[in-house]
Amino acid sequence: MPEPILKVDSVTKCFGGLTAVNNVSFQVQPGEIVGLLGPNGAGKTTLFNVISGYYAPTSGSITFKGQDISGKQPYTLATHGIGRTFQVVKPFAGLSVLENVVIASFLRYPKRADAERHAWQILESTGLADRANLSAASLTLAGRKRLEIGKALALEPSFLLLDEVVAGLNPTEADRTVELILQLKQQGMTILIVEHIMRVIMNISDRLVVLNFGEKIAEGAAAEVAKNPLVIEAYLGEAAA
Amino acid sequence: MKDKIIRWGLPVLFVLIAMPAVIHDTFFLRVVTEAVMWIGLAIAFDVLAGYTGYLNFGHGAFFGLGAYTTALLMMKAGWPFALALPMGGVMAAVAALIAGFPTLRLKGAYFAIATWALSRAVQQLALIMDITGGPDGMRLPPFLNPQFFYYLMLAIVAATFALLWYLLEHSPFGLKLKAIREDEQGAMALGLNPTKLKMQAFILSAVPTGILGGVYAYWITFIDPASTLGDLISDQALVMVVFGGMGTLIGPVIGAILIFAFKTLFWAYLSDFQLLYLIILGAVIALSVVFMPNGLWGTLGGFKKKKRDHENKLETSLEARLQKNEGE
Amino acid sequence: MELLPQALMDGILLGGIYITIAIAFSLTYGVMHIIDFAVGEWIMFGAFAGFYLNKWTGLDPFLLLPVVFVIFGLIGCLIQPVIHRVLSGSKGNPLLMGLVFTFGLGLMFQGLAMTVFGFYSNSTPSMFSEGSFFFEKFGFSLTISTVRLAGLIYALAITMALHYLLKKTNFGLGVRALALNKDSAGLMGVNGKRTGALVYGLYVGVTAMTGVLIGCILSVSAGMGPQYTIFAFFVVVLAGMGYLAGVPWAALLLGMVQSIFLIYFDPGHTLLAVFAILYTILLISPKGLFGRGV
Repeated sequence: MPEPILKVDSVTKCFGGLTAVNNVSFQVQPGEIVGLLGPNGAGKTTLFNVISGYYAPTSGSITFKGQDISGKQPYTLATHGIGRTFQVVKPFAGLSVLENVVIASFLRYPKRADAERHAWQILESTGLADRANLSAASLTLAGRKRLEIGKALALEPSFLLLDEVVAGLNPTEADRTVELILQLKQQGMTILIVEHIMRVIMNISDRLVVLNFGEKIAEGAAAEVAKNPLVIEAYLGEAAA
Repeated sequence: MKDKIIRWGLPVLFVLIAMPAVIHDTFFLRVVTEAVMWIGLAIAFDVLAGYTGYLNFGHGAFFGLGAYTTALLMMKAGWPFALALPMGGVMAAVAALIAGFPTLRLKGAYFAIATWALSRAVQQLALIMDITGGPDGMRLPPFLNPQFFYYLMLAIVAATFALLWYLLEHSPFGLKLKAIREDEQGAMALGLNPTKLKMQAFILSAVPTGILGGVYAYWITFIDPASTLGDLISDQALVMVVFGGMGTLIGPVIGAILIFAFKTLFWAYLSDFQLLYLIILGAVIALSVVFMPNGLWGTLGGFKKKKRDHENKLETSLEARLQKNEGE
Repeated sequence: MELLPQALMDGILLGGIYITIAIAFSLTYGVMHIIDFAVGEWIMFGAFAGFYLNKWTGLDPFLLLPVVFVIFGLIGCLIQPVIHRVLSGSKGNPLLMGLVFTFGLGLMFQGLAMTVFGFYSNSTPSMFSEGSFFFEKFGFSLTISTVRLAGLIYALAITMALHYLLKKTNFGLGVRALALNKDSAGLMGVNGKRTGALVYGLYVGVTAMTGVLIGCILSVSAGMGPQYTIFAFFVVVLAGMGYLAGVPWAALLLGMVQSIFLIYFDPGHTLLAVFAILYTILLISPKGLFGRGV
């Protein structure tokens, strides 16, 4: 087995008396798409925020490419190669679509002209080029979610955290986004994805990690996990199990 | 955009340089000198308020710190003006570090409170210290050369404008600040360190303000807490920027010229009603916020931009289609 | 040393009335997410209202408190929709604009007051103004002026009333829900607009009432506002922004600092001391003395 790109090792995150993530461990191999699954309030977004540096873990550690990154700031992690999107998409509304991506491009291309060139490429590949000079506030939800992915990609990350980038889109838009994610996988990107839409997550993930009440209750291939009684119980309630 | 500023900026600069040779009226020169100073104070204020989204209600304290530093070094330490002046900028930077360090990590409200409280504390300090002359203020050796001060003020403000134009409108720095203004959390995920950027912006705003204070002290030859540390400086800078248009460089320039012209006329003809001026300042701020949140420049520019946006949309979609065709 | 008990007692009596301002101020911050730079000016207007109403009607300022509360409460309710409009604007940075707006309002009020009331300093006479209690024990002597004691009783009554309002009524439940989460409170049927206006009205009313008392205990002048704005900031930052339970302690501390400087040092240094404490707190514990602010 190759060295994992991400190692989450018994991570716990508490807010006051509330334990949002409890002793969760898993690993992500390079080039893999891992789906993070769980009912509302299971701690998925909290875990995302811990991995991407927005919260420091209360205990446990996170290793990225062999380096302990627990408690490092998000902007440091971006330079290490971690890109992320936000569940509640908030583009820089006062700026244009192009400027939004240019800002992200500065990380790898500190000169403005280079950053702009790079941003145009990103816009082409995410299908936003025709809206480049519009205000980001004028985008539809689908456009905003695409922009969110575009900004993360402009960082040229080696590891991508996608937080519900498909939810809320109509079927055509959803298919296009799934296509984009699969393209990224082909290019060798490693992805950890949170998604509510089962059809999507079952299809694109190599492996699933399932959380419930902040704890990991299952891990494995999609078909296996779907049969796991604990998972069925978490989703359908006790009676079904 | 860069061409535009050269096309418009250079002729304006030329007119300003040639002006004293044509107009010999000293009162007029004095008014223009002060107007130029206010342009400098307004654009420096906008670095934080408009570009970064942080309100420095103690802008006047940095001006006063520069004025007092320059005056003290000249009078008590015998420094020449040319050396004392830059120290005014250095002191302002130090004050920005001190005020910014605890507060720029926090929400904007804390920063507004802290800078406002700081300006009150600095006023109080100047009032009770012996070395500053307390409420009586300080006198500097008179150097009565209006042209010298006009050109000095012009040079400093033009250099500040050019520097801010380059940093805020041309280099990545300005866009990064805007990202912080729009969404600090989101900006962090893109590799931006908000605290560091905000501190840089604060210093960038404070240094020219302090230097202008130093020039002012030597020009007017008399400083006291009421005139150089009073709230009026912060209040006027705020009015100019909000009224002119936040988040641009042209907006504050327009705001500074209009508000300063108004102030000069008001004090010339209605000097018995000085308190009315305060009411008008407050009313202009409040009304601008409610009815013209983008300021004069933003509101005027907004119409043009809408049209341009529409044209851009057509153009870019055409371009994209052409490129696509080429690709196939 | 023999002055220390007196200084502490004065501090408690003075700090008590700051509690009322800071609670209302903190509440407004919790619901509207802006701090009001005009807070000191509301105190100033309240103080003048007390002064002139007393002069015209001859009624004791303590009896005038409900009148002042109603008048200023109405003014607050009328102004809040404008602030709400600024804060819900889609353009620019609404929170920043909200700050700018209250700052402009404060400036306007200051100019207005100086124009109308001039530069004189007065104080409002009350039936409690003259009397005082005097204690002497263990070699210490302690004077408690009746008006300050009455002020403290007022403060306790207002604090308890606000506590009751917040914890026991439906209105209070709505306010707390709004402070926690604007969006979901709206979904639960809390009328954000109306609640916001009422909270702001409540805040302006309480602040103006406290202004009346400050006019009785200390003084009334057109330029008094900014000092109290700083005091209000001091108390809410020390308490932790939006953390109501911290307010009384921070207010009492402010009262102590003020009275100790009045007795032992130069009162002109009070502001510097206030700033130094404020700065230290921001440096080491920006969430307030108890680390519970937001």
